[in-house]
Amino acid sequence: MRTNTKKKTFAAGALLVAAVLTLSACGTGDDSTTSVAEVSGTGPAKAATVLDQPFTKPDLVLTDTNGKSYDLREETKGKPTLIYFGYTNCPDVCPLTMSNLAVAKKDVAKKLSKAELANLRLVFVTTDPERDTPAELGKWLKGIDSEIVGLTGDFDKIQAGARTLGISIAPPTKDKNGKTVSEHGTQVIAFSPNTDGGYVLYGEDATVQDYEKDLPKLLKGENP
Amino acid sequence: MGPGVIASAVVATALVLSGCGSSGSGSTDSTDSAGSSSAAKLSVKSAYMPQPVTDSMAAGFLVIENDGGTADELTSVTSDIAQDITVHETTGQSMREVAALKIPADGELVLKSGGNHLMFENLKRKPKEGETVSLRLNFTKSEAITVEMPVKSATYQPTGGH
Repeated sequence: MRTNTKKKTFAAGALLVAAVLTLSACGTGDDSTTSVAEVSGTGPAKAATVLDQPFTKPDLVLTDTNGKSYDLREETKGKPTLIYFGYTNCPDVCPLTMSNLAVAKKDVAKKLSKAELANLRLVFVTTDPERDTPAELGKWLKGIDSEIVGLTGDFDKIQAGARTLGISIAPPTKDKNGKTVSEHGTQVIAFSPNTDGGYVLYGEDATVQDYEKDLPKLLKGENP
Repeated sequence: MGPGVIASAVVATALVLSGCGSSGSGSTDSTDSAGSSSAAKLSVKSAYMPQPVTDSMAAGFLVIENDGGTADELTSVTSDIAQDITVHETTGQSMREVAALKIPADGELVLKSGGNHLMFENLKRKPKEGETVSLRLNFTKSEAITVEMPVKSATYQPTGGH
């Protein structure tokens, strides 16, 4: 199928982008981005990567923390939306990423009007749906920001949705002690309220300050 | 395990590694320094715990410096705050428990966000920003070290990192 191949290409491209960006963030100063056509105008100092070729919003219909069906495309249509894939039994990167977003939102709320922020959607999709039931997810997100949308559901569906955004997640496995080992995504993706396309990527090292600086632009679908 | 997924994770990791400037010597292992026989001399700095979301799980970070000529290993961690504290390493997008982490001779073991970390499970209470958590680090050779780990905000990032 044609569309499938195309999506795969995007995914591979995004991974490359992420890797190359990480390189430049480590300050080697080696300009080796020639093979990557999707990055536009981002220096090493910027957390955001603006994609020339935005991602289509994944067609995900999952379950929210109230146990209700949530159609991602429908619910977030025309709304500035930031999506992250992770799991709650994750001590480090997942809570840090979501806390960074939540704190940045809170800081931005001091400067903008309520109306300007009203449409912002922060979405956390679990990569460990077996443990992250709607109730577990709700409890965890309440500890960060109760307005964050938490989604769970069929793992294969979540994995396929993530893949269209260039995020590959393996299913949870058990280690030799019987403990579940899950994977989280490494990027936050921002979708424009104007086009509904995923046009900006943030890596794991994006800080509260990065998001705080960029959110006012992301709210309008502008390039950070 | 999906081979495809692993392959792409490996690619990403490899690139990250090569970017982070350990250019030149690729000899990170087997640094049990030839000749030098001074014992491991350990000290701990930059310890912190980001305020966790719930009392079921928390992470801890610190740097263990070794000024001695012999390598040592961090083997276990105990604390009043949780019965279950494990040492984890992060590879690619997942993390797993390891039996021990090496502290090279004349080197350091860095536990930091996004990399190796201590994982606290089933905490007796949720540590809050401003508190301290008392830990005991146990090693293969050196005597145990007690650390007062400050609890920082959930989004705390140590300065001086890269």
